[in-house]
Amino acid sequence: MPPLPSADGFAAGARDVLPLAFGTAVYGLAFGLLAAQAGFSPLQIGVMGVVVYAGSSQIIAVQQAGAGAGIAASVFAGLALNLRLLLITASIHDVYARQPWWKAALGAHLTADENWALLLAARARGRPVGWGYLVGGGALQMATWCGATVLGVVFAAAMPEPRALGMDFAFTAAFLAIAVSLWRGRSDLLPWAVSAAVVFGGVRLLGAPPHWMLAVGGVLGAAVAGLRRDG
Amino acid sequence: MIAALAAGTFAIRFAGARLGQAIPTEGPMARALTALPGCLIVALVATSMLNAGWREATAGALALAVAVATRNLPATMIVGIAAIWALRQGL
Repeated sequence: MPPLPSADGFAAGARDVLPLAFGTAVYGLAFGLLAAQAGFSPLQIGVMGVVVYAGSSQIIAVQQAGAGAGIAASVFAGLALNLRLLLITASIHDVYARQPWWKAALGAHLTADENWALLLAARARGRPVGWGYLVGGGALQMATWCGATVLGVVFAAAMPEPRALGMDFAFTAAFLAIAVSLWRGRSDLLPWAVSAAVVFGGVRLLGAPPHWMLAVGGVLGAAVAGLRRDG
Repeated sequence: MIAALAAGTFAIRFAGARLGQAIPTEGPMARALTALPGCLIVALVATSMLNAGWREATAGALALAVAVATRNLPATMIVGIAAIWALRQGL
């Protein structure tokens, strides 16, 4: 099956991301339920999906805002989680390099874990994929993400009494699942233990605000990982 | 909040795209950046467990077990919610 000239462009990117879009849809629905609980409207969440387009940072920011953390702490937590995107776009910087500025900007905005990984995998198999492939996958992912999150918010509005149903625990369970998916092996143990200990210590012993200890704990854990030689 | 998060996130993505090779892919800084998401999420779980009683701890342990076994976000959420609901109803 010899590929057509356009086969590694926009359509191929969208097609390859399709199996992953199912997972994105379910994740988006779950996020929508959480966002509704934190007091966000379908419109706000739809706009957020388009302009932010970074799932786990949206979850953390929405949860923090819902818990009364204030704008600065919520934004800080979300952005800290997104710093890794710097490494992701930097690792494929050649894709944006020969494009006009608006195409480079659009491509960068649409870069997420899924289409980035697919691009690297396709290149590893010798396919000449580039900007079109990245943007095709990203566009389908964004449409799926926004549709599912808005649907989740709308559904949640029909639910009675979130706390009585145990919905307040949904965030904790969601973060546990995300943590497990981010576990890379034993080298994570010490940084993670440091993060958790800093949060407990800071809040319990020093009486520091939990919303800020979250950031301090995360950054100190990451610093431990960075300073270790075996990391 | 949404506008600030959007602007910051775009700045991060675009900086990576434009600075490219100038961004270290190894060494302490890269290791710290790679480890940061996991550490933040763990810190977040820690903050949500600050005021946890034994019911929350039990439901959390159950959800963690499901997360490790299935690596599935909705399944973990469903088990966590069901567990906390059952524990609060019965006990």
